Amino acid sequence: MKKILLLGLTLFLASAMAFAQGRNVSGTVTSAEDGEPIPGATVLVKGTTVGAATDVNGKYSLSIPDNGTVLVFSFIGMATKEVPISGQTVIDVVLDYDAAELSEVAVTAMGIERNKNELAYSAQEVQGDQVSRVRSSDFVATLSGKVAGLDVRSDNTMGGSTNVVIRGYSSISGNNQALFVIDGVPVSNANNSPSAVDFGNAAADINPDNIESINVLKGAAATALYGSRAANGVIMITTKKGKKNSMNIAINSGVIWSSMDKSTFAEYQKEYGAGYIQSFRASQDMGSGEAPVVRFQDDASYGPAFNPNLQVYHWDAVDPTSPNYGKTKPWVAAQNDPSSYYETGLNSNQSITISGGGDETTFNLGYTRNDIKGNLPNSTIDKDMINFNAAYNATEKLTVSASANYTRTKGVGRYGVGYNGTNPNQQFRQWWQTNVDVEEQKSAYFRNRQNDTWNWNGANTGPIYSDNIYWSRYENYSNDTRDNIYGYVMLDYKLTDWMSIMGRATLSATTDMQEERLAVGSAGVPFYSRYNRDFKESNYDLMLNFKKNISEDFTFNGLLGANLRREETSSIDASTNGGLVVPRLYSLSNTVNPINPPTEEYFRRGVDGIYANANFGYKEKLFLELSARQDKSTTLPKGDNSYFYPAAGLNYVLNDAFKNVSWISAGKIRANYAEVGNDAPSLSVYDIYFKPTGFGSIPLFSLPSTKNNSNLKPERQKSYEAGLELDFFNSLFGFDFTVYQSNTVDQILPVDITAATGYTRRFVNAGEVQNKGIEVSAYVTPIQTNNFTWDMRLNFARNRNEVISLYGEGDSRVTNVPLASFQGGVSVNAAVGHPYGVIRGNDFVYTNGERTVDENGYYMVDSDASKIIGDPNPDWMGGINNTFTYKGLSLAFLIDIRKGGDVWSLDRWYGDGTGIYPVTAGLNDRGNPSRLPVAEGGGMLLPGVKEDGTRNDIYAENQNGDGQTALGYAANNYVGTPRSLYIYDGSYVKLRELVLSYSLPTSLFGQNSAVKRIDLQLVGRNLWIIHKNMEYSDPEEGLGNGNSARGYQSGAYPAMRNYGFNVKLNF
Amino acid sequence: MKKIILSLFCSSLMLATSCVDSLDDYNLSQKEAAAVPSETLFTNAVKGLTDALTSASVNSNNYRFYVQHWTATTYLDEPRYNMTSRTIPQAMWQSLYRDVLSDLKESKRLAMENTATIESVKNNQLAQIEIMEVYAWSVLLNTFGDVPYSEALDPENSLPVYDDAQTTYNAILGRLNNALTLINPTAEGYEDGDLLYEGDMEKWVKFGNSLKLKLAMVIADADAAQARTLVEAAAPNVFTSNADNTVFRYLGAQPNNNPVSNSVTGPYSTREDYVAANTLVDVMNDLKDPRRGQFFTQVGGEYKGGIYGFTNSYPDFSTVSAKVAAPDNPGLLLDYSEVKFLLAEALERGFAVGGTAQEHYNEAIKASITYWGGTDAEATAYLAQPSVAYATAAGDWKEKIGTQKWIALYNRGYDAWVEWRRLDAPTLLPPVEGLVVPLRMIYPVNEATLNGANKAAASSAIGGDSSDTALWWDVE
Repeated sequence: MKKILLLGLTLFLASAMAFAQGRNVSGTVTSAEDGEPIPGATVLVKGTTVGAATDVNGKYSLSIPDNGTVLVFSFIGMATKEVPISGQTVIDVVLDYDAAELSEVAVTAMGIERNKNELAYSAQEVQGDQVSRVRSSDFVATLSGKVAGLDVRSDNTMGGSTNVVIRGYSSISGNNQALFVIDGVPVSNANNSPSAVDFGNAAADINPDNIESINVLKGAAATALYGSRAANGVIMITTKKGKKNSMNIAINSGVIWSSMDKSTFAEYQKEYGAGYIQSFRASQDMGSGEAPVVRFQDDASYGPAFNPNLQVYHWDAVDPTSPNYGKTKPWVAAQNDPSSYYETGLNSNQSITISGGGDETTFNLGYTRNDIKGNLPNSTIDKDMINFNAAYNATEKLTVSASANYTRTKGVGRYGVGYNGTNPNQQFRQWWQTNVDVEEQKSAYFRNRQNDTWNWNGANTGPIYSDNIYWSRYENYSNDTRDNIYGYVMLDYKLTDWMSIMGRATLSATTDMQEERLAVGSAGVPFYSRYNRDFKESNYDLMLNFKKNISEDFTFNGLLGANLRREETSSIDASTNGGLVVPRLYSLSNTVNPINPPTEEYFRRGVDGIYANANFGYKEKLFLELSARQDKSTTLPKGDNSYFYPAAGLNYVLNDAFKNVSWISAGKIRANYAEVGNDAPSLSVYDIYFKPTGFGSIPLFSLPSTKNNSNLKPERQKSYEAGLELDFFNSLFGFDFTVYQSNTVDQILPVDITAATGYTRRFVNAGEVQNKGIEVSAYVTPIQTNNFTWDMRLNFARNRNEVISLYGEGDSRVTNVPLASFQGGVSVNAAVGHPYGVIRGNDFVYTNGERTVDENGYYMVDSDASKIIGDPNPDWMGGINNTFTYKGLSLAFLIDIRKGGDVWSLDRWYGDGTGIYPVTAGLNDRGNPSRLPVAEGGGMLLPGVKEDGTRNDIYAENQNGDGQTALGYAANNYVGTPRSLYIYDGSYVKLRELVLSYSLPTSLFGQNSAVKRIDLQLVGRNLWIIHKNMEYSDPEEGLGNGNSARGYQSGAYPAMRNYGFNVKLNF
Repeated sequence: MKKIILSLFCSSLMLATSCVDSLDDYNLSQKEAAAVPSETLFTNAVKGLTDALTSASVNSNNYRFYVQHWTATTYLDEPRYNMTSRTIPQAMWQSLYRDVLSDLKESKRLAMENTATIESVKNNQLAQIEIMEVYAWSVLLNTFGDVPYSEALDPENSLPVYDDAQTTYNAILGRLNNALTLINPTAEGYEDGDLLYEGDMEKWVKFGNSLKLKLAMVIADADAAQARTLVEAAAPNVFTSNADNTVFRYLGAQPNNNPVSNSVTGPYSTREDYVAANTLVDVMNDLKDPRRGQFFTQVGGEYKGGIYGFTNSYPDFSTVSAKVAAPDNPGLLLDYSEVKFLLAEALERGFAVGGTAQEHYNEAIKASITYWGGTDAEATAYLAQPSVAYATAAGDWKEKIGTQKWIALYNRGYDAWVEWRRLDAPTLLPPVEGLVVPLRMIYPVNEATLNGANKAAASSAIGGDSSDTALWWDVE
């Protein structure tokens, strides 16, 4: 239809041209995206009917009438550009894609392209260059702020996993992550590792340069055809394809550096050093006469005050290889605090893509090499990515296409997360001595490659708790490989002009190998472990597509399909037992005791689905969409394993309604209702016995801790959605507004139950979670002149989440299901009447709304450990994307905003208790050091009131050792500080992306030049946290991925600023 | 053509929809057993119970602190009786219900179903299970007070009521009597899977009676009449030497090692969290106790305990001996020394169990010294001291027996804690004013969210869910 219009217009313009007189202007119209000429673009003299269309090489020539001053360039899907003629005879123009225009065609479920006017649901598109422009190795993370309602959380680890949730958490214990579908191939984004090290997830194995576009299908109505797994939304990725009768070689070369954003790392008090109590160990003569000895064994900084005139024996005095062996040194704060441990990271990305095609074929072949050096010592990731796709029109009716992609990832020294010795931040943020100089630890390790720790045991022979931080990176590192293969073969056959059939087989397979080690000489039992996992998913689709105009006014689109999905996962996890015999030899056979039987896992899942979809249109104005799917899953009890779910939507195009309103260019309203069913996790139906390692030759069996359920039925999500889209002044401004509500009912939950039942978890079918919210995406072009354009994209989403019910009735009604219990005595919960994931712990005791202190000046603690003290769900999220274009130069920046979302910090809870942070030292408001005894004028005056309601005037002892810190974990001996003291508001405003691009003028390259286009880019990512409320930490940081990974920080990694450049050549 | 393709399409759809049903049942695990011998669950439960009581992990078992046998070097939360920051009650609760009682119940079900076993053997197996169940229930009751019993161990009932502790206690005493009548000493029971007595049912009779003696004495202050009946009935059949001890012989390799070795310096840990507490070491130094070398290490040629509940520098104080730290150090569930102390006490309470209190007292101490590796001569010399001799040692019988039993129950924190609460001796003071040495363990924090109404009812029934609420039998 569009094409016919275009042709008509061209003919019309061509005829108009014949009458034109005056000056001649010529030039070339090219596309900003790939530098290719645009054939068939329209060039019109503004205010006249004089115009021309570009030829196959994108060239045009036009005679300008005397009254002509401005040329208007336009092409479908591109932003219209106006250029003043002002005496020029050659005017070359680069056209950009236009969001509002592009949205006319949307890629929907099953990869079907639809006119956006037909859609009754919300779908938001992101162009490939929007995710590739910042050159991040994980494109998933770069979606943050670009799509309304998309909650992307990624930790600051090297190659770590990313959590992608659309429209809030809906499943209490199941997967809440969006499904990734690449060219029709479903790819899992689950994190697969049994260990505390974050090995990342497979969605990162996609080359961002190979992405043509990303379409985010948010609601159940949009995704119902994908069945069960798509209940959480779908991220549809369309990769780049070759173009017929063309040849293009693109080379991309970029380097990105990264360095720590110091505002997100710990700061240290510089007044007191090692110890839980303010004294040294008894004086000894370790070689330079009697002198005090530092409390090596105390992993805290509540020790004696620094005094440069005091000579003491430090940790290196007992290291025979140290120049300070047997010597004393002044008692001073470290010159190099742990921030100097973080190195400058480097990410080099080189890729080449060859694409093109002949009369009947197209292909695209790419290779990418990605070398990452992390910010921790001895951390690297190397990636090789090969992708190929091709299509062949075998006959006029038959198209054959295929794709094959292979990514190999090799990691060394991936980061440990959470409360774990493999995470250096456990030391840096929780258990540290401020007198320890990181550079000295470094030289101690490199001097003799031994574990010369600051945390010696009593005999000064090895570590008690903490290893030398360089030893742990260079000796106790992990290494891993992942092979990721995905691809498809597909046949399309046009049966008639209104019906086609498609058959497709897809495969996605990953093979993971992860090795971890703890070297002989480390704190803890040395070990070597290896984990191997194979995952394979294949899908077979058969689909009939219909497209028929029933009458002049009635159109019909439909499809009828069947899908077979088969998944298979097998893994084995083995470890040495009781230590390693030969140091630095890492094999299972190098075990002290015979190894225990490895843990084997084997899961399968088969789901068969049939589905149908019909879309009826009336006068291209009113559209009705109906779809239905029936699934049969092997994870449900046999015989009761099939479930049906429908969806319906209505869409009305308002263009006619606004015919007489000149400033409204287009509009539509839409509404839909959809249900999606979901099956159970594998192996949750029948009871089995758990097999512990035998007692010598005596076998042991045990009942497992989870009680399975043979009466499981599918869970179900029901959702409503309504939306309004309006476009003003020919796309100068427009928005898409959506309201939605979804309720997930009959959830399949492994709920925690009291161990008094004999189990600690039990699978039930109950519970309801509601999400409702609004999403707005808008675009506005505040300035558009001949050479300069300012475009803005705005995204806003607000989701309200509530757990409506859990399980049980009447007296046995359960109102809380803990999702995770964490160190520090806080838990993350699903609680009836509250948002999903609320944080519970001991609160303050309030008197007249104020925090109450006891008779010793310490905060009183409410004895109820199940008080809700925080909610990790953000109030709203938004993104502001700005693009300034001036000729070939463009500057884009993205501001990413999150309002609200609480975070509990174990780092501060422990760190304040061990005296690391500045708040634990310094002067009190009497002007005395707060660490002096209260009797000597010291102590801390905590803001609050006494039990009688009067203002607090009791100074609390600020010392440790007797468990009397005023803050943090050891306070008040018995119950600690109220946990709510360590709840932080996770709001932030971040300058997420900054990209300066320059396209060299095409005039630089001659007609026959091999190089067609050169783009230069300076890129920055996470350069500036404009605003946050959480000290010393990045509020985005969590515990890797999973439902309970947000809202809790332990050993948080600091944020990294990324900056670098990129060069792109097109041949 | 069109029709052919359409019909092909439809038939492939049909094929597809029948496909899942034609697969083998994917819900059947390929790697886990669906049927196992009952003995394997019994063995696992016995190991689970012994591990829970023997462990020295601060996450689950801190009784060695409560009785001031040990203290901590650096982290004072637990010696200062904090039970919440590490969810200690939850760990104990889970071990006993989920890892011990649940497996015992299942092994009983499987044993009953097994028609191939002859009646006498089956009865013996059921008695073995029942005795271990009674043991495990007694630990729960003596730790928490009221706990779920009548509605417990039923996964279909997620909200079991808490039963009155005394009623439950009487119920398990009844079950213990029944178990003892089931035993046929000449027949077999569980054998290879019986890690305690290798199927020697005569030993099980002694174990059952010794347990009866011990459990009956616990209620002596609250229900003297019943205690007398049970003690007098059990006394003739209790342990007669250390050879009868209920010993769990740990192996050297993880995970079958003595769990203490996971927490103290040795092959399985580099941590230096514990030193001996001055409370115990000072008493043993005063008494020149020959067991010190078996219990502790020396510092500068002497035994020196760290100050209880305060920061202690690890190298400056005695810590656990190599024997206690050894991965294959046996665990003890009940021993001869303990039984002898109970008999001494029975006589002081006027129960007819034969002998004199002094004889039993002497034998108890001697049994302890020799069990730990000391000689008869050492025992005799020790007993000869006026501060030890029953006639001359300080205090009333409770203090004499209490103090010596407190020493003899070294490294058996839970039992030492029960006896200390019961005998109110020796005097143990909290490290700082305002703290109270726990008289019970508080209910797991997560019970408030998992079984809140029942937990709340139990809390008020026992007089408050606090660690200073005395249990029903702790009346003096």
